[in-house]
Amino acid sequence: MSIVLARIDSRLVHGQVLEAWVPFVNADCIVVANDEVAGTSFQCMVMQAAIPSSIKLIIGTLEETASILRSADLLKKRVLLLFTSSEDALKVCQLGVSYPKLNLGNMHSSAGKDRYTCTIALDQHDIDMLKQVEGQGVTIVSQCVPADREQNWHKLIRSGGR
Amino acid sequence: MKEIRLSWLTFLRIYLRSFLLQASWNFEKLQNLGFFYLMLPGLRSIYGDEIPADVRQRHCAYFNTHPYFAPLVAGTTLRLETLSLAGEEPAVDSETYKKMVMAPLAAMGDALFWGGVRPLAALVGLLMASQGSLWAPVVFLVLFNLPHLLFRGIGLILGYAQELKAIETLQKCRLPDLAIRLKESTTILIGVLCAYLSFKGCEHQELSAAWGFVQLPIVLLFAWLAHKGVTSLFLVLLTTSSLLLLALLF
Amino acid sequence: MAVGDYLLAGLVAMLTGLDRVALIQIMISRPLVAAPLTGWVLGNPLVGMEVGMLLELLWLGRLPVGAAIPPDDTQVAVGATVLALSVGHLLDLHGMPMVILSVLIAIPLGKFGQVFDRLARHTNDRLALSGHDALMAGNTTGLERYHLFGLASFALASLATAVIIVLIGSFVLYSVAPLLIGAVRETGLSLQYSLILVGAASLLGTINVNRSASLFCAAFTGTMLVLWMR
Repeated sequence: MSIVLARIDSRLVHGQVLEAWVPFVNADCIVVANDEVAGTSFQCMVMQAAIPSSIKLIIGTLEETASILRSADLLKKRVLLLFTSSEDALKVCQLGVSYPKLNLGNMHSSAGKDRYTCTIALDQHDIDMLKQVEGQGVTIVSQCVPADREQNWHKLIRSGGR
Repeated sequence: MKEIRLSWLTFLRIYLRSFLLQASWNFEKLQNLGFFYLMLPGLRSIYGDEIPADVRQRHCAYFNTHPYFAPLVAGTTLRLETLSLAGEEPAVDSETYKKMVMAPLAAMGDALFWGGVRPLAALVGLLMASQGSLWAPVVFLVLFNLPHLLFRGIGLILGYAQELKAIETLQKCRLPDLAIRLKESTTILIGVLCAYLSFKGCEHQELSAAWGFVQLPIVLLFAWLAHKGVTSLFLVLLTTSSLLLLALLF
Repeated sequence: MAVGDYLLAGLVAMLTGLDRVALIQIMISRPLVAAPLTGWVLGNPLVGMEVGMLLELLWLGRLPVGAAIPPDDTQVAVGATVLALSVGHLLDLHGMPMVILSVLIAIPLGKFGQVFDRLARHTNDRLALSGHDALMAGNTTGLERYHLFGLASFALASLATAVIIVLIGSFVLYSVAPLLIGAVRETGLSLQYSLILVGAASLLGTINVNRSASLFCAAFTGTMLVLWMR
């Protein structure tokens, strides 16, 4: 198993992931690590309906993710791993899943968050979480779609939010 | 309490309003006003002129999906409203439903309509145009809009009639796989168009048609460059300047 | 071209521009339709057709996913058609070479479309706020009104793009056409066909299919052989 892309995207499975990233990184398996989604059979069905049958979709809780990724089914798969938040990304990392790079895709703005790019909004909690992820040896970058330029997140933070 | 039924006139209004979904598309909340605008005839039939504040709040929140899939979402959302008003407890409430389906349905619509139907219809139109037919734009519009206009209408009715099960029906249609078939057909038509133009070019310059095959690796090279992110503008400039230079030199 | 013609072209620019995102989306915004439509209202649909063919495939593969806004191929198509007919009439230069030059000059000016489109969407941020406030105050007709105001910003953005393409384009085309027209004529059909092939290649490169290269090669070779044997 190799993780070809690990990404935080609050929209999870959507056009940018399926039409842009999947062909670009040549992934044939998408793993969604999210407690809430894994617990809602309706949402699992909607996501499954959006994905062509040539791509395998697995949705699991954060706890399950590590064992899913180690399973024999995924031995030869090129996996695209999706989270919705910085907290989930850190938790999965601490559970022993190692990914070399974490891509920040869409992190929606909400009250108390500062917008750093058109699609990324962070608060202090997010920044703390991401720092811990980085402490595990992960490079963190922001890049919405492959056509955009990849940017290290430190540059983003230094430029300041609004 | 008995469940409120929406009239066909309400559905017609919603169908027509769906063409205005993105009139106020904005970076802040994307299609929020548009979605409320689309739902309004239905909400008025359900709640009368005084729509409760919580209903107003939840249907004017951040929303974004593929425009052709919005009638389906509106159909189900309205049905869930009437069901919960009648005292039934649907497995998913209308607000959660919207949040759950908007992104996956957007992905489906992007792949099917923007990635599948549109290029295929355009290629058919272009093949006709390259033969000099003035009907090409009409054929393109008909080929694209037949599925488009039907999909909006069927989506609305399906979403309302089957509520949450509409997604199951959608899943059975395997639309993402259909999109891949359409893209493969488009790829074949691109090959046909390129061959036809190369052949005509050779014929015009009174060269053997074998020279037409020279175009094949060039097109593949350009396609590879485009895949790597080289812009169309750059490829156009490259082609034009080299051809003009050749014309000026020889 | 008379003033009335420019007004008609402006109307087409707004209608086709609205079709891109804001209104109906039946794809009269595609160059293959928008350009012949412009040509038709100006009395020469054939020139529009030639413009549409050159432009249709160039950005067809650029899906509007995420915050990325693709170049405005609709206004490039409308603008190039107006340029070919108006400057062509002024210099008494007609036919394919003039169409090609107009398209080449209009293409880079499509960047302005992205700028104006972004501006329109930011203007709508304010409309969205006002509309939301009106709704929360119980004024649903207020929301409807603010929502429909959004059409105005998109229409104006399209019109502005078309005007800029025609203004700058006319100036450039008027000065370079007499110099370059000979060279473009020299290339004969090859430049016209090559530009369509560039579009085909960019679509092929961005289409999301596993076996695209082999399918393409098979179709190309097959068609070539059939045409050759005939």
